[in-house]
Amino acid sequence: MDELLNLLSENCPDIDFETETSLVDDGVLTSLDLVMLVGELNDVYDIEITADDLLPENFNSADAIFALVQRLREQ
Amino acid sequence: MSINSAAFLLFLAVSAAVYYAVPRQHRYLVLLAASVYFYLAYSVRAAGYLLVTIVLTYGCARLLGASHRREKVALAAEGADRKTVKRRFKSRRRGLLAGVLVVNFATLALFKYLDAWLGGVNGLLALAGVGFSFRPLELLLPMGISFYIFQTSGYLIDVYRGRQQPEKNFLKYALFACYFPQMIQGPINRYDKLHPQLICGNDFDADNLRRGIELMIWGMLKKVFLADPLAGAVAEIYTNYMEYPGAAVFLGAALYCVQLYCDFSGGTDLVRGASQLFGVEMGENFRRPYFARSVDEFWRRWHISLGEWMKDYLFYPLALSGPLGRVGKAARKRFGAYIGKLTVPCIATVVVFLVVGLWQGPGWSNIAYGLWNGTLMSLSMLCQKPIGRVNERLGLSEEKGWFRAFQIARTCLLVIIGRYFSRGESLYDALRMLWRTVRCFGQGGLGLSLFTSFGLTGLDWVKLLLAGGVLLLVSFLQERGVPLEKNLRQKSWGVQFVLLFAAVLLLVVCVYLNTDYTAIMYVYENV
Repeated sequence: MDELLNLLSENCPDIDFETETSLVDDGVLTSLDLVMLVGELNDVYDIEITADDLLPENFNSADAIFALVQRLREQ
Repeated sequence: MSINSAAFLLFLAVSAAVYYAVPRQHRYLVLLAASVYFYLAYSVRAAGYLLVTIVLTYGCARLLGASHRREKVALAAEGADRKTVKRRFKSRRRGLLAGVLVVNFATLALFKYLDAWLGGVNGLLALAGVGFSFRPLELLLPMGISFYIFQTSGYLIDVYRGRQQPEKNFLKYALFACYFPQMIQGPINRYDKLHPQLICGNDFDADNLRRGIELMIWGMLKKVFLADPLAGAVAEIYTNYMEYPGAAVFLGAALYCVQLYCDFSGGTDLVRGASQLFGVEMGENFRRPYFARSVDEFWRRWHISLGEWMKDYLFYPLALSGPLGRVGKAARKRFGAYIGKLTVPCIATVVVFLVVGLWQGPGWSNIAYGLWNGTLMSLSMLCQKPIGRVNERLGLSEEKGWFRAFQIARTCLLVIIGRYFSRGESLYDALRMLWRTVRCFGQGGLGLSLFTSFGLTGLDWVKLLLAGGVLLLVSFLQERGVPLEKNLRQKSWGVQFVLLFAAVLLLVVCVYLNTDYTAIMYVYENV
């Protein structure tokens, strides 16, 4: 989780990933942030996040992103 | 039946009365019957095309839903190879979805562009000296085809992704696809937001009625007092731009921005209001776009439902596709992390705006319009960090009013330049207009006579400035967060009634009792 938090903070330094829980719903993560973040996550964790996974519930918080990464790594 | 005609108002009143008179479980059938009548009154043949799309997308969604169910059963079976099962079912669903989407969008393209393509082919044949040319087919463009194609395609993609359960009841699905208020010029509604409201059978609510009427009046005021009076002057400048100084050409493009906004957002307010009469709330399509501080923000405030559709169903799939992913990786190696990370969103953005441009029309000017916006958006992404650093060093902050005003003016200027392309007769004309604006800006003087040289009299300007001033004031207050609607509600019933009555009286006198007034078709009607 710490590794993921570092990665998120490096990519979007203005966002507080430790406390935000409505990143997509409140528009904190823009579409540009999302696309760049997904590219980074795919590279670092060797997973394939597709447009089908871009649900708000998968990106609203660091915990949700962590769960998505875990799920895709297990597949 | 024009949506600002007395016939439409009567149709609405009768439909609403019947809607609330029948039992709740049958109310959706009233909406369906009203929608079918509305469409048939437009064209029986076009209704046939609409029915084909509804049947096709309904069937496809049911098949996609069945595939999801069968996949679950197969996955639950003992010893199932999960990866293989998933891949097999997904591949089938993808093939089915792709097939129907191709049919949907090919139909749209044929109706919209076939004659333009034939014209292009004829031009090539003439150049080659072939003594043959294709006759234009002049197909009737089915009303609202863009909107129902986008809306049903979005629904199908949601079912494909497993985000939406397919509707089993054909009539309930048909209502989602052909609900009459959305047929003129959108907005492009989402299934999960619209469908539950359509089928639940809303109870009568005086607030809905009042809010609906207010929205309709506000939309009509924008159309009647700003969009329509400007239409003639704008058309004159865009057609005969060589006869006017550059300043007038620029003014024409700026006035077109006002006309288009009042026409499109006015029409949207009207249909949203009409929908509200039945207790069905359709999404907001405009949020004061000319207060945007960047082109990116402008597009988040302008035609919001199209922007959201493009983001979810084109931008994301494109940006996260394998080929663009590989381009991104290559760009990172070649140009470093910063440029590399932005390469993919920039390419996807340009493609999205090219599609938006092509959606508006088949000409090169529409392609140029898409490229203009896509390039501006991409440049703003690429320059965001460096410009942020420069602003920080210069102590420029958005908290400073003058800096915000500068950003708004800059955005408006870029939007106005874009409108040279989207409204120009051709790319050649748009470029010549731009050239004339720059080279002959002050030709013939910049006096007051400039403003009355293209068909608008002094009195017309007074009326336009009054109406524009009211719109600007309301927009400014909304932008500042003043809850105008809530404030109005807190006034006494007498004050509210007088305001509403005055607005209705104004419309009746200026539109329905005025024999000089001719309703002008909405700009985006039938795109």
